[in-house]
This record gives sequence, structure tokens and C-alpha cells, in this order.
Amino acid sequence: MFSPSREIFRRYTDAETFDKIVEMESVSELWARCIKEFPQQTAIEDNGVSYTYEQLDRDAALLRSLLKKETAAPRRIGIFAPNSYDFVKAFLAAATLGACAVILPAQLDETSVFGCCMKYGIDTLVYAPELSDQTKLAAAKRPDLLLIAADQNGEEPAPMVFPKAEDPCAIMFTGGTTGKSKGALLSNGAVMQGVVNGCYGYEHVFSLRYLLILPLSHVFGLIRNLLTALYTGSSLFICRNTKDMFRDIAAFRPSILVLVPALAEMALTLSKKFGRNMLGEDLQYIICGAAAVAPYLVEEYAKFGVKLFPGYGLTESANLVSGNPDSAEVPESVGYLYPNQEYKVVEGELWLRGKNMMDGYIGEAEEGVYEDGFFKTGDLVRFDEKGRLYITGRIKEVIILSNGENVSPAEVEAHFNALPFIQDSQVFEDRNEAGAAILALEVVPRQTELSKLGEGDPKARILEELQKVNQTLPLYQRVNKITVRDSDFARTPSMKIVRYQK
Amino acid sequence: MTRAEIIEKLKDILLSADDRNRETIETCDERSNLALDLGFTSISTLYMVIAIEEVFSIRFDNVGMSDFETLGDVVDYIEKKLS
Repeated sequence: MFSPSREIFRRYTDAETFDKIVEMESVSELWARCIKEFPQQTAIEDNGVSYTYEQLDRDAALLRSLLKKETAAPRRIGIFAPNSYDFVKAFLAAATLGACAVILPAQLDETSVFGCCMKYGIDTLVYAPELSDQTKLAAAKRPDLLLIAADQNGEEPAPMVFPKAEDPCAIMFTGGTTGKSKGALLSNGAVMQGVVNGCYGYEHVFSLRYLLILPLSHVFGLIRNLLTALYTGSSLFICRNTKDMFRDIAAFRPSILVLVPALAEMALTLSKKFGRNMLGEDLQYIICGAAAVAPYLVEEYAKFGVKLFPGYGLTESANLVSGNPDSAEVPESVGYLYPNQEYKVVEGELWLRGKNMMDGYIGEAEEGVYEDGFFKTGDLVRFDEKGRLYITGRIKEVIILSNGENVSPAEVEAHFNALPFIQDSQVFEDRNEAGAAILALEVVPRQTELSKLGEGDPKARILEELQKVNQTLPLYQRVNKITVRDSDFARTPSMKIVRYQK
Repeated sequence: MTRAEIIEKLKDILLSADDRNRETIETCDERSNLALDLGFTSISTLYMVIAIEEVFSIRFDNVGMSDFETLGDVVDYIEKKLS
């Protein structure tokens, strides 16, 4: 099956704006359009300084001249910097030189930096000056490695190179920050498909004001937050420290935010505590993904006049696979598949191929990754009658009961998460006192909603409501043990729940 | 502001983020360990930093809640910033 054409998104946007959303082959093509159409607009605000598209172009061209090498070999340029103007400049310089940018998370220690330089065949490493200590081992053991501080510039600007759509653009880590995680190779065409996908489904998409909170070493930060912002002539304010995000919001007044659900939830809780919209009165949209989005968030933000878009994507798909412009109607869906994808649903699992998909993992065996030419996402899905996608679980998290029934924890959790006073939940396999396998549920209550439970012990009331939901489930999905937690679940660096291991 | 007053305000912030943990929070004191006794996670830590800045009108320097071990350490820091 093929994903719908882009026409499915036309009804959300006026004709003139929609026609400006055009597909492109490379980041160089994107950047050429930016400097032609938005030269004097502010591209980046960072550390108290504003940079226009023209200034960013000049600085990237000067750095490009330092990165140039007379070699016929394909180039791999490591970018090792925290979120900053220097990161943006370095990425643009590498991509518009036709090189493949290997994005190293800023938290890597010097052993991991060295490991990445070896594993990914990095020939040049652009690093933030404050991270120079972490590059010392690589510098000592790889004398051939060209090291360039990101605040350096060449004397003469170097021209852009225009790679083809199939030429490599970026290697992004799929998870973890240890340097041992997998690196997904994304072509220019894949990255650009991801960038353009980020434009579909909005009434307003050009000349917005973005705040960058997510790390640029994550596809959601790099592609949806940075590159789509540049593609649309928008301004991007770089928040250097998450703790300052509300102060930055008050100063910059963003019209769009790209957030993980845990941050959206925290902003909502703070807004309720302090009795004002902490995300500012100018905010129109929140793009929310990288973890399951509770329908409650869509509904609560609608009360502030903010449209929250749940979406679904993977590092391997250059970020965006689908997005939900109908979130008011179906908040639990992750929306329509974006164009130029072909998909299959095999035993409930979503398989994908298309322009946005990666060209494989670098230096890893690909056994089990692909089948029949499709990338196996590992996500269990269903579609509704309008073709909107729903994530119902992860294959590797499926619990196989002793009676052979397969239970997808996410599918069961969704029923409990629909209660407004449940913030998060986890269904897992546990043992009862007799040692038999049982299905267990732990929940984290949503504090701001507890008062609506009425009088009495909140824990007892929550248990009562959870039991009611439990009784509505098919027998094989019913949990045998429910625990109301006193604290949040342990979370990964990207704020996803750490799932219990059997 | 006395240390006792700071503690009370901190408890109020903690309760607004984590009312389900009411009993623990109401009985906590300066010796309470943020991670072990109060169950601080990355998100609740971020919440605390932002709420403390808002409530006490102070600004954290280049430190985060992860630099503090006990509630008393946080009180020390706030007291210093307010002086």
C-alpha cells in the first residue's frame, strides 16, 4: 500500500501557502532557497545575538572553506557541539559541502568520541570549544583527523556543492548517548522529505517563531525543529538550558514549540500552579512526539487556544512518518502517513519503505532489520476508516501469557491513560505469591486532576476507577494487580519511561 | 526569610508537583534525600528548579537540582541567593 499523496493535507492550509511547500533534493537546495527568499529575516537567535539568513550563510560559507579537502573519497564530518549557533553553522557548512554530517551527542565522553571517529570513518571533527577536552583522545590516536573548532572561520567563503537526493547527508544515533548505539545513515532526499513532511497540516507554516529545546543530536530536534524552521523562513531561538525555557519563552514569544510529551505535561502543570499560560500568549502550535501523547494534553492545551499535534516518527525514517492535524477529533491518533511512503502491516507490525527511509545502519549487521525490501518498525499499529494511524504497542514489549494470548502493554495502558487523572502507566508481567505469571499495572496519578475525584482517599478512588476500566477489557487484557505509585517512573534521557524487564 | 519559611515554601512546591506523595513531603526535613526519600526524577527536578526560581524570585547559576543531595542543601542555596 502507498501512503496518501500530499493532497490529503491541502485542506488544512490556504492554497498559496500549500503551493510553497515543494519537495527538494538536498539541504543545499533548501539553503539556496532560504538565502534567496529570506535574506534579511532572523534565522537564529542564540546567546543574546540574532543572525539573519544572510549572516548565517556567510558564516557557513567561511567555515565551509576550512572543511574543504582535495580528496575524491566521500567525506564524513563529525559535528560535536551542544545546541548553539555554532552547531547550526557547522551542520549547514558540512551538508552544503556535500559531506555526510555525523552528529555526535554533546554528552559523549572522550572514549566515545574517539570510538565514533573510528566506527563512522570521520575524517574531520568540528567541535564546540568548550568540548575540546573530549576530543583529546581522538586527536592523539588519529593524527590524520582534521580538528576544527566551531568558532573558527576561513578567510574566503567557499561555494556550495549540490549533492543528489541519494547522496548521504547525516548519520544520526538511534538512541542512547554511549557512542555504542546504532548510527542511521540518512540521504539528502530522506532528510528533505522529513523537512517537508513537517510543513503539512498547519494553517500557518511559514515565518513562525520556533524555540529549540530538544537536542539537535536527535532527529526531532535537527529535522523538525531546526531544518523545517529554516525551510519555512522562520526564526529559531536556541534555549541553551531547559531550566530557562520559560524565561526564554517570555522573552522570545514563540508561536510554535516542538516538545516531548513529558515537557508538555510539565509546562501544563506549572501553568496551572502559577495561574497563567507559561508557554506564552503567542503560542499557536505544539508538535508533540518521540513518545506516546496522552489525549488529555490535546484537550487541555486546546483550552489555552493551542493546537497540539501528535505525530509518529523514527530516526530511521528521517523523523516524520505521520502527523495528526485532526487531533481535536481523534487525539489518540498519530494521524495520516506523509507522502512518498509505501507500507505494509504484517501481523500488526508496520513495515515501511520510501524516500524518507534510511540507507541502513553504519557498521551494524542488518539481520532482521529489513524484510522484502521494507524496514520493520517494530511498532504495532492499526488504521481507522479514514486512514489515520494508531500505535497500539511495540513488538518487543509484547507479553505472551501462559495461555498463548499476546498482550500489547501499550494497547492496555491506553485504556487506563484515557482517565484524566492518570499521567502515565505501565503494564508488565509480574509474579503472584504462588510464583505464577500475572499481568500487573502501575500508574502515576496526574496531580492536577486529583481534586476532581471527590472526597475520600485519592488512592482508593483511583483504584476504584481503574478497576472499573479493567472490568471493561477483554479477559486476556485484564490486569491482576494494580499499584498506584507515589513517584514517577524512572525515565530515559529522552524522558521515555524505563520499562520493567522480565 | 527564615529557614523554616523556606522549607514550608519548598514543601508547597513539592506538593504541587507531587501531591500523591503528600505524607512523605509533609514529614520531610532538611536531612531528606532528594532522590532516595523524595523520589526526584529528571522531570520533577526540572519542575522544582523552575518553580523555585518563580516562587523565590531567584535564578539558579550554573547548578541544577542534581548538584544537591538533601533538601537542606537546597535551603542553603536559596538562603544564600536571598541574602
